[in-house]
Amino acid sequence: MSSSVEIELDNAPVDMVSSLHFSPATADHLLVSAWDGSVRLYDVTKDDQLVSVQHRAPVLDIAYPEAARAYSASLDGSVRIVDIEKGTVHTLGTHGNAARSVVWSESYNFLLSGSWDATVRAWDVRSPTPQILAAPHPERVYSMDADKERLVVCMAGRHVRVWDLRMLRERTGHKEPAQVRESSLKFQVRKVACMPEGEGFASSSVEGRIAIDYYDHSENAQAKKYAFKCHRTTVDGVENIFPVNALAFHPTYATLLSGGSDASISIWDIGTRKRIKQLPKFRSAVQAIAVSRGGERIAVGCGDGLEEGDKPVNASVFVRMSGDEAKPKPKTSA
Amino acid sequence: MPKKATKLEKKEKKKKRMAIIRPWCWYCERDFEDVKVLMQHQKAKHFKCSHCPRRLNTAGGLAVHIQQVHKLEPDRIENALPGRDGYDVEIFGMEGIPAPDLADYKRRKEAEFGLAPGSTSVPAEAKRPKIDKRVLTQTELAQMLVAHKALMSGGDVPMTSGGALAAPAAVGAPVAFGAPPMPFPPGMPPPGFPLPPGMSVPPLSGVLPGMPPFPPVPGPLPAPGINGAPPASFLPPGVIPPPSLLLPGMTPNGPPSASLGLPLPPALSAPPSGSLQMSGSLPPQSLLPTSTPTFSPMQKVEYARQPEIKDGAKLLWADASLSPEENRAKAIKYSQPFGNAASEGDDIDGPRGVKRARAEDFL
Repeated sequence: MSSSVEIELDNAPVDMVSSLHFSPATADHLLVSAWDGSVRLYDVTKDDQLVSVQHRAPVLDIAYPEAARAYSASLDGSVRIVDIEKGTVHTLGTHGNAARSVVWSESYNFLLSGSWDATVRAWDVRSPTPQILAAPHPERVYSMDADKERLVVCMAGRHVRVWDLRMLRERTGHKEPAQVRESSLKFQVRKVACMPEGEGFASSSVEGRIAIDYYDHSENAQAKKYAFKCHRTTVDGVENIFPVNALAFHPTYATLLSGGSDASISIWDIGTRKRIKQLPKFRSAVQAIAVSRGGERIAVGCGDGLEEGDKPVNASVFVRMSGDEAKPKPKTSA
Repeated sequence: MPKKATKLEKKEKKKKRMAIIRPWCWYCERDFEDVKVLMQHQKAKHFKCSHCPRRLNTAGGLAVHIQQVHKLEPDRIENALPGRDGYDVEIFGMEGIPAPDLADYKRRKEAEFGLAPGSTSVPAEAKRPKIDKRVLTQTELAQMLVAHKALMSGGDVPMTSGGALAAPAAVGAPVAFGAPPMPFPPGMPPPGFPLPPGMSVPPLSGVLPGMPPFPPVPGPLPAPGINGAPPASFLPPGVIPPPSLLLPGMTPNGPPSASLGLPLPPALSAPPSGSLQMSGSLPPQSLLPTSTPTFSPMQKVEYARQPEIKDGAKLLWADASLSPEENRAKAIKYSQPFGNAASEGDDIDGPRGVKRARAEDFL
């Protein structure tokens, strides 16, 4: 049980952490993006900052498919290639408004970006004309995630679209989302995460709640969908309801990690619908969670005051050896 | 719709019945949501070993455990009412409760709810009609329009079918859009129109054969010649327009609902089409192929509403139409490009994205 050791990285970004990802090659390297425009690579074993690449605008999201290469989405609307070895950036293309989210499709080898200009664009990063298409959406894109075959786009106004990745990869042809959905959550969606097995997705809202949804429209599959409250605290009879900013599935156990503005992280077994563990509170609101590919490490990006605008942010990055704390508990009898 | 209503009623009934004979604990007479919770309670409160953290499933199990593991004589069941703290009665959830106690409990509960003895399976009171406040769908609106037209024609066209059962087949059945207007029996008050917000009431179910004829309403009649468009105040919401008040101009073939002076209940007063996408059903536009450039960036959208949260709760982020990031992005420090940016290969300066050709955006 005492296998979980937590360290805080020195030299953390100076502004709010927006996203973080472990290197696809090693769980020792962690890439962190922040509102200060930096994308930094850390060696978490030595607590050492290896590279820092500065952008012209706050970086709202990153994707990290290759050890030497990442992709960033910025507030200035640009989607950029970040060359980690050279420490340079190269603009792939630009949205009409801030680029909020980038997702790499491993199965089809292309990049997707979602923006507040209400489009999702697909990018062929090796092509001289990289933009494959821009799919108009009904609202500003707030969060996206992809599994092997699908892209789930969550927008303002509780719109949800599910796309076939294969369709978005093609430059020609009629484009239409595979599913047009309305969010199961009554409040604004904060984050979406696709299940590793590809049967559904989890989404979280500003109103301390997480919904588990399934793609399959059959009655059997839909009977499994549910939503639950979380990240709430009651102080002096007032229930404070916190946004759930971060969601991540554990790659090996398929358990769900959720992080909220209450500075806590909970680990959920979505099959038994039980909380496995709640990690001790962090110093400030949890903004992003990453789990390494093998599941051995969990990284947590924190920063306060996203909701209040210009307050001191207290940005920090923690890395935890997760051990088996995210493992579903064996079913106990009696 | 009527089918749904009866289903709902059944559900309510069942709920009520459950509420009266909820699972209860024989040891302490507390009642619980369901048997599962009850069993959890029993394990935690009554079948917990006082010598170790072990929890057993039954009193007998606990007795055996105490005797064999701790080599002690079992004392009493903890937290139990006097007289019910013995190990002789084997209780498992609701099973094993002695019949006299069960009957006694039932009697007391019935008295508490003001019920006749032995009536635990009927609801305590007539169920208040369920008020459904959701936004109506297009089909429902269409149904209501058809029903309304039927109502209008019922007042206008003299009935020829005779008898009180001119339209019994249609009573309570869902009305398809575009169905011919249904005549009503003569001298019958038009049923339940305008509809109250409680939409679960089927539009026509109020019609009963043999209802007394509606008395003619005294008072000044509006001047004839107003063609199908009486002012809205003419029929205040909730007032049933008697047939004798309806004007000759108001034929079923008149213009659609907007000009019929249909007194709409609040939920309906929104324009019937186009604006239905506020919540509930998905906007039809969203089903269009993606080739239609429909977006206009960054508008603060009207329908970004969210439900009220209950008293005593505080949302940290309550703005439904803006995300925390969008709010933060307004800060001055983010409005200028950061100075010390890395060299950006072919990235050009100036406002980005604004002048980009839009043609390729919509392939």
